[in-house]
Order: sequence, then C-alpha cells, then structure tokens
Amino acid sequence: MSDFQLALTNTAGISSVMSFWVFVASNGLRGKKELLLKIASGVLIVGFLSLTIAIVARGVEAQRFPLSNLYESLLWFAWATMGGYLWIARAYGIKQLGWLASLTAATFFLYGSWLPSSQHEIQPLVPALVSYWRQIHVPPLIVSYAMLFLSGLAALLQLFAAGRRKTLAVAVTTIVLAVSAIGLGTFTEIAVHWLQLLFVGSSLVGVVVAFKLLNQFDASKVNAKLAETYDDVSYRCIAIGFPLLTIGIITGGLWANHAWGSYWSWDPKESMALVTWLGYAAYIHLRIHRDMKPEKLAVVAVVGLLLTLLTYLGFNSLGFGGLHSYGQFK
Amino acid sequence: MTNEPTPKKISVFASLEMAVTFMSLTAITVLIGAWCPQEAVVGREKVFEAFAPDVAKFLIKYGVSDIFHSPWFLFLIAMLTLNMVAVSFQRVFPKVKLLKQVMPFLKGRQIENMPVARKIYLGNYSSSAAMSFVVNELAKRKFTVKVDDQSLTAESGKYGRLAATITHIGLLTLLAGVTVTSWTGYSGFQPVLLGETMSMSGSQHSKLWIGKLPTWGVRVDSTRRENYPSGEPKQWYSNLSIVDEKGKVLKQGEISVNNPLSYDGTDIYQSSWGIDAVEVSFNGHPQRMQVQPMGKRYAAFLPLDQSTVFIFSVLDTTAPMRVFAKRPDWEAPKLISELKPGESVTLGTVKLKFDRVIPVSGLQYKNDPGLVTVYIAFAFIMVGVMLAAIPHRHIWVSVEDRSGNEDDPDRTLQLGAVEDPDATLKLNNVADPDVTLKLSATEDPDVTLKLNATHEPTETPARIEATHEPAGTYLFIGGKSLKAKTGFEKLIDKLVESLSQQIGPQAPPAVTAAKSEPKSFNDRLAETLENSPASHDEKLVAAGADAHSGDS
Ligand code: HEM
Repeated sequence: MSDFQLALTNTAGISSVMSFWVFVASNGLRGKKELLLKIASGVLIVGFLSLTIAIVARGVEAQRFPLSNLYESLLWFAWATMGGYLWIARAYGIKQLGWLASLTAATFFLYGSWLPSSQHEIQPLVPALVSYWRQIHVPPLIVSYAMLFLSGLAALLQLFAAGRRKTLAVAVTTIVLAVSAIGLGTFTEIAVHWLQLLFVGSSLVGVVVAFKLLNQFDASKVNAKLAETYDDVSYRCIAIGFPLLTIGIITGGLWANHAWGSYWSWDPKESMALVTWLGYAAYIHLRIHRDMKPEKLAVVAVVGLLLTLLTYLGFNSLGFGGLHSYGQFK
Repeated sequence: MTNEPTPKKISVFASLEMAVTFMSLTAITVLIGAWCPQEAVVGREKVFEAFAPDVAKFLIKYGVSDIFHSPWFLFLIAMLTLNMVAVSFQRVFPKVKLLKQVMPFLKGRQIENMPVARKIYLGNYSSSAAMSFVVNELAKRKFTVKVDDQSLTAESGKYGRLAATITHIGLLTLLAGVTVTSWTGYSGFQPVLLGETMSMSGSQHSKLWIGKLPTWGVRVDSTRRENYPSGEPKQWYSNLSIVDEKGKVLKQGEISVNNPLSYDGTDIYQSSWGIDAVEVSFNGHPQRMQVQPMGKRYAAFLPLDQSTVFIFSVLDTTAPMRVFAKRPDWEAPKLISELKPGESVTLGTVKLKFDRVIPVSGLQYKNDPGLVTVYIAFAFIMVGVMLAAIPHRHIWVSVEDRSGNEDDPDRTLQLGAVEDPDATLKLNNVADPDVTLKLSATEDPDVTLKLNATHEPTETPARIEATHEPAGTYLFIGGKSLKAKTGFEKLIDKLVESLSQQIGPQAPPAVTAAKSEPKSFNDRLAETLENSPASHDEKLVAAGADAHSGDS
C-alpha cells in the first residue's frame, strides 16, 4: 500500500472520529449547535472525499477493481455509510443521524486497521475472483449493507423520538453484543459456537424484549414530528438498500452460473443473504399494512440491521464456511 | 371490463399476515440451513467435522443437515407460492388498473385536509400567473400536470405502482423456472485425469426426473495452471474434446474458470484443478506416485529404507520437480535435485528420471432447461424492486376567492375533526365532539379559530390560535405521498417558498397568527370567556375576538 493511499485512508478514518465528537458536542453546546453541526458535516465531507480518492488510488495501484478482500470491502462500507448519510442529511435536513453514521464509519475503519497487514496489502486474486462480474456483483451488496445499516440507525433515532427509551436501550445493547461477538470472532480464538450463541442468542432475546417494551413510553419525551421524519428516513434507506441487495444477490447468481454452472448452490453466505432479503421483504409487506405502528417497524428495521451484520461480517468471523470465505484470514 | 369490479371475497391465502408469517418462517429455516453444513452441498463428513458426533447424528436424523430438501422447506415454499398466487390475482394485479385512474380536481377545502397542505395569500398577484408558475415548477420536477381553469392536479412516480405486480410476476416465473430445471435438468461433477474421458452417467450427478443423460463423454486432452509470480494460482485451463461412444470427436474447445464449453445444451465448467500423480522412472522402470496437496505444492513420499524418505514435490505441470531426502536425524529435508520434465539425475546406483506430472481437472457440467425462464424472472424481479423505490406522489392546487362572508362554510371549524384520535376536547366540561365554533358572532369576520386540543395522557397545554385571514384570493396546494413523506413535504415547502418570492414582498402576509401563551386550555378558555361581551349568550363565540386583539 502506497504512502499516499495510506495517508488518505487515515485522513478518512480520523475525520470520521472527529466528526463523531463534533456531532456529539453539538448536542451538548446548545448555543453553538448550528456552527458545530456545520463543522461536523464539513469534516465528514473531507473524510468522504479522501476515502473516495484512496479507493480510486488503490484501484490504480492494484490495476484492478479495488474490492476483493475484507479490508477493501470495509473501506467501501465506510465510504457508503458516509456518503449515504451525507445524502440523507441533504435530502432531509436532519443532523442527528450524523454521529451514529460517523461512529459506524469509525468503527469499521478501526476494525479494518486491526486486521492483519496481509489484508492491507494488495494481493493477487484467486482464480474464482478473476472476472468482470466481481465489480458488478460486490459493490451493490456493500452499498446495500451500508444503506440497510443506516436504516437501522435511523430506526434507533425513531425509537428515541417516539419516547420508546426502554426499547431503545434494549436495541442498542443487542447491537453492541452482536458487534462484540463479531469483534471477538475476528480477533480472538474463542470457540465459534459460543460466539454464534452470543450473536443469535442476544439478538433473539433482545428483539423479543424490545417488542415487549414498546408500549412503555414516556409521553412527555415524544417528538412526533421528528419520529415521523426518522421513520421516513429509515424506510427510505430500505427502499434504496433493498433493490441494491436484490441486484447484488441476482448478479451473484448470474456470476456463479457463468463460472460454475449453477446460479444457486445454498452456500452459507448466499443463504444468509437470502435470509436478509426475506427479512426486508417482510418489512416492506408490513409497511403495506397502513395500521402498523412506526415503532414496531423500527424494531423490525433493527432486526434487519442485525441480519445485515450477520450476512456481511458474521459469516467469516463466526465460522460459517462456504464459497465466500475469501475474506477469511485466520 | 368497463364496470367497476365488485368486491370479491378475499381468500384466506391472500392475506398479508400470512405472507409475512411465511416469509419469516422461511427466513428462519434458511438461516438454520446457512448455519448447519448441508450434506447436499459439502457432504455428510462436514457435519461430523463441525459438530460433536451426537449433535451431528441428531441434526442428520431430523433433516437439519439437508434442510433445503426437507418436507418442511417444501411446505414453506408451497405456502408462499399459494399465498402469492392468491394475493396476486386478488389484490396485486388488479392494481394495474389504477394506472388509468384520473385524479379528480379538488376544492381548497378538500386540499386543506391533505396530509401535506399549504395556503398562500395571493393579494393583488394575478391568479393565472400564480397557476402557470406552479405548473412550470411542477413540470420541472417531472410531474405530469393537468390544468383545469383555476385548479390543477399533478402526479409523479406513477410507474412505481407497478412494482408489486412486476416483482410478483417475477417471483412466480422464478418458481416456474426452478421447477422446470429440477424436473428435467441435470448437473454433476467429476475430477478427470489428463487423457481420460468422463461420462455423465459415471459421475456424481443429480437425480433426473424426466428425460435421460447424454451418451457422449468429455475427454481432457491437456490441462494446465497459470500462476502469479508468487506461485499463487491465477487461472486453470483445460482443452476438452466431446467424444461420442465410438470415440469420434464432436467438438473441441478450451475452458477456464468463468469460461465454459457448451455442447448440446450442456455446459462444461472448470471448477477445480489439482495434481493427481507424478510419473518418474527408476533405471528405466516407470512408476506412478500419488501426490497430496502440501501448501501451494503437491508432494509424493517414497520410503527408501527404515529411516530415509524421498519426497517429490511439484507445483504444476511445467515447473521443475524438487527431490528431497528426509531422515529423522536431519532437522529439515535436504534438497537433492531439481528436475524439469524429461530430465534425469543419477543418485548413487539409481538413475532417476522425471517423466511427467498427471494433473486432474475438476469438471462441473449442467444442463438447465429452466435457465431462460429463470433469467427472465431475474430481470422482472430486479426491475420490480427498483420500481418499489419510486414514491408515487399526488399534488392538488386550487386558486379560490375567500370572500370573508359569514355564510362561507369554510369559516366553521369542526371540533370533531381533530387528527389525533387519542385527543379529547374539554371545553369547560363540554366534551361533545360535534361542538361547532361559529365565528359569525365575532366582530371581525376575517378571524378563524384554530384549536389545538389537549392530548389526554400528556396534558400538554392547549393553545388557541386565532388566524386572521383577510378576504381575498388564495392558492391552496396540498397532496400526499405514501413513501418519502418528508421529502414530499420539503418539495411542497420549496414550491411555496419560491411562489411567495415570486409574489413579492409587497404582498401582505398571507396568514398572520397569534399564538397564546401555553397556558392550560381551560384557563385560557375561561379567560377568554370573561373578556367576552356579555351580550353573547353562546359559551364559545368570543374566543376569536380576544385572540384577534392580541394579533395587532
Ligand atoms: C409470498 C407471498 C407474498 C404475498 C402474499 C405478497 C403480497 C403483496 C401485496 C399484497 C403487496 C401490495 C401491493 C400493493 O398494494 O400495491 C405487495 C407488494 C410488494 N411485494 Fe409482495 N408478496 C409476497 C411475496 C413477495 C416477495 C417474496 C417479495 C420479494 C421481493 C415481494 C416484493 C414486493 C414488492 C417489491 C412490493 C411493492 C412494495 C411497494 O410498492 O412498496 N413480495 N406484496
């Protein structure tokens, strides 16, 4: 990896951390709120642009499309999260998602930087990945994961604005536990069965409890207008992420058919993407029920976030095998 | 089909609850299938590798390790299909007709009841200029606009409505294609040694329900591996001949990963590559030795005596073979010689010649008669879900004169028409939802009254807003969008803003409002009633006059 590329990537990583703190500070210092929000967004834009150039530079250096291992896909994910947030902020004029989006990007940068250096280096491709299909199949998926992630984050803010503080606390705890399972699975030798149990167990318990707590809320903390906006943002992100996920899965099938003669082979990662897809199909159909409470849909969007996380990172780190284990390095 | 469709009885299978339930159950089932190694994909051994023997036996017994062929999974797919067929014909496909539906023109009063609604006071500004401004702005934003004198309707994203229909047609087509494939198609895999011929029936192949396997075979004429400079494999190639039973060559071609050879509807793919054996001769006696993968290389072991072992290590078909000797008292095997194919070396009394490497080409083949159908389905599904992202938006605009006339029905406020169903109105203990505030008794006919009701559980103080609405011409704009509501509201606000700029600063403010202090509703009402002229015997009428005086 060239110094130029490294410098740009680091700039992006540091920007995401900085903008996170400035977004947080903007909530503390009411008087300077507008100014701080502007600064935070500015810093995030700088990070986004440096990351864009870094990714392009990596492609030029490697002389191939720069999306072939876990590290590169994390860069793309962070890029799409930042870009997706900037787009939402512009379209909706909301800022509260900012600190969550920067936190997510920063976490993924950190995760990426902890990966062994072999992941950071530009490596030759295994035969199965040498194909133009790679750049058709993978980017829609990574961008869809980022959009679906943002939708889950917006759902958290919806729960906050709707006064569902207890549900929110449970949802956040569940996500933190799930992320921890993935972190432990990537960087420690703990038996994968325990981590699978941690991920799936905490998700199941968390989601059930979150649903149960939905009717406990503090009416004085309800900001109906804001809740409606975040509900809308969450849905919008899914409306963008879902077609991308669909395209990613289908082009994956086309590639597999082209390369191995079978568009579907029940490979674990394929299956998991199908699970996520069905989960969001269920969300969309729940939406069609006009009488579904937005808070319930918010919890469903959090379920979606957990499924997305499991599909994207859970597979390699929690020891599910299969064809798509190129990202694996242990 | 000219007359309105009569409401049909909706089949139980056509319910969305059922769809969501089965989608969730299918998702959970597939999740389990993703977690547990599948025998049909990776073989039964993997199940035993992944779990303790008891657990593995349990999973195999209950079909968890072959979940995608279990009756439960077939049941789920069948239910989803039934559900989708029923819903499609009863609820989804009929929606296509909505595309032809014409939006009716609406009056200001109806527009004001839209989820998003704004009102602009036009003052002296020409109403036709305002209309054409709005038409232009909407057209710029890709709305289809219809104008009728003083009102218009606008629509965008109408084709988003086709999303459900197209997606569901795609899904049903997909199921049809998959069914055709699984009944009449076949596929299989066979590792084939250099020079040998594979027959479909002799390989590991899928069960064929209808039809029979071809009789021709596939011969591997040559096969090789291309490496990166680091020694990592870059690509695998095989030159194949399709031969009939008598050995006649029907077709020839080279394949590599991602580039198959097609013959008679069957595609043959390069799916793996390896080295099976090396051939060496000892003093002219050829001998074939099986090799095993060792890291990037392949190695064969030949014990010479009790303690010495010869190791023959090869990378691919062309690179030199390395010959090592290993003894227990040596720390590492010693490299004795490196031989290119055809070269030889004399070791003591033995002349060792490296003849050649026997590679094995992993061939995957398939015949998939449903493929075209599946691809068409893929196209439908992709288009359908993309359409679902398009918000369908309706806008109505109407320019109307508000005369300020007392008899104008627009000047009456229905207290029952509060948006929040949980709100109750307490007007000095009058909780009659049909109470109507008549403004006819106020001194200023231009005052309208807007009441924000108390939300029972929250006890937020109610506000009384009195709005001064000068008699004159107003432009009403409003509409709805089920998806991307916030974006829609922003769009309307932007439009209103630019229209207001167009009207110019000299126009009087369209709407002036006086908000009361957030006192409790009852206090406020009591205060209002005290200040009101005693001559009015109605309880409520004076509120407007009071609020209006705070206006100036
Ligand atoms: C399995 C049974 C299914 C049933 C009973 C069902 C039913 C429905 C219904 C009633 C609608 C609403 C149509 C409308 O109001 O315009 C709808 C919309 C839709 N469905 Fe399904 N569906 C099923 C499966 C699926 C699946 C597996 C997908 C996968 C993507 C899917 C994708 C869609 C999409 C994209 C829409 C349009 C949503 C929108 O306009 O926002 N459906 N479905």
